[in-house]
Amino acid sequence: MLEVNKKEVLLLALYAGEIMLKNGAETYRVEDTITRLCISKGFYYTDVYVTPTGIFMSIDDRKKDEVLSYIKRIKSRGIDLNKVAEVNSFSRDFVNGHIGLNEGMELLQKIDELLPYPHYIHAIFGGVSTSFFALLFGGNLLEFFSAFITGILLTYALNILVSIKFPPFLTHITGGMIAGIMAIIFSLSHPLIDIDKVIIGSIMTMVPGVAITNAVRDSIAGDLVSGLAKATEALIVAASIAFGVGFILKLWTFITGGHLI
Amino acid sequence: MNYINDFIYAYMCTIGFAFLFNVPKNSILRTGFGGALGWTIYSIMNYYSDSVVISAFIASFIIALMGEVFAIREKQPVTIFIIPAIVPLVPGFGLYYTVLSILEKDYDLAIKYGSESLLIAISIAGALTVVLSLNSYRKEKKKV
Repeated sequence: MLEVNKKEVLLLALYAGEIMLKNGAETYRVEDTITRLCISKGFYYTDVYVTPTGIFMSIDDRKKDEVLSYIKRIKSRGIDLNKVAEVNSFSRDFVNGHIGLNEGMELLQKIDELLPYPHYIHAIFGGVSTSFFALLFGGNLLEFFSAFITGILLTYALNILVSIKFPPFLTHITGGMIAGIMAIIFSLSHPLIDIDKVIIGSIMTMVPGVAITNAVRDSIAGDLVSGLAKATEALIVAASIAFGVGFILKLWTFITGGHLI
Repeated sequence: MNYINDFIYAYMCTIGFAFLFNVPKNSILRTGFGGALGWTIYSIMNYYSDSVVISAFIASFIIALMGEVFAIREKQPVTIFIIPAIVPLVPGFGLYYTVLSILEKDYDLAIKYGSESLLIAISIAGALTVVLSLNSYRKEKKKV
């Protein structure tokens, strides 16, 4: 067995875990990857504890009397499955011994700096998914086009707000308000356009369905702290969207009369 | 004919989400099939049974199976096929309606939407967990 630098292995495994966790990988997958990376370099005593907000790990080679521990705080989380896939194939190559330590660190840095699809592609496909969602929920052709335009506007605005690091809670409130305003404008322009259908379609890109499902998955797998953390996140996101949409609709019903639901 | 429409709509919807979640380019078209098939099965099941929870369970079971097949063939993590595909099924709107009805002070409606979306989330997560843990059990067995 080659003598390897304990700290370098730890930093590399931690960096890989950080990229995965920041971009939407499941808790067990992050723990699994970190453990595999360390074991492949001969550190059989490796323990990792991952929650959505941080990684705690320690490794020991059982030769000298020292254990290395590290805590990494994770502040922002998004979904970028491309990076998860890249780190996954990186860890497979690393465990098989095709990649050295220094080379591995450079590769991880390159993966971390990979760009997502550009804003306009996100906006167009955000529009595609929202408009077809309006159709799935029984919308007509006019509602399809209104949801398409609202979806493009909404996704673009959200992307811009995220990229200038606007506070997440306010970002979702703004998204909800944009959806509400656009739906009211479209419903005024033609009698066949229903406010509800346009809103349902267009906030589809923001609602935390995936988050709540992942929360239950983590809880079933026994990662109870991660499960609770993700469920809380989902509830906060749902509350902020409902706050934004509700505020606009309430204002509108205050002017015209009627009920929200 | 309705189901064919459903299939196409859900396919486009899933592909849109695959772009939003930055799924790698060469997997995007495959990801769409999982979502489309899942939603079609969901709406067929909904027509014949009156339980949304069971329909969601069976649909996400199929999605997870397809995801595993694609993942093994493509050597990609199964997440990239499953996450965009379950989007049409997941109860994001239930959660949104729950909070909206609380804002409206309609607590009965809030309980109705809230419990339904929690049950759907549990059934989807349960189906995914069953398939994924069976597969990891199979891999463990193979190694030994």
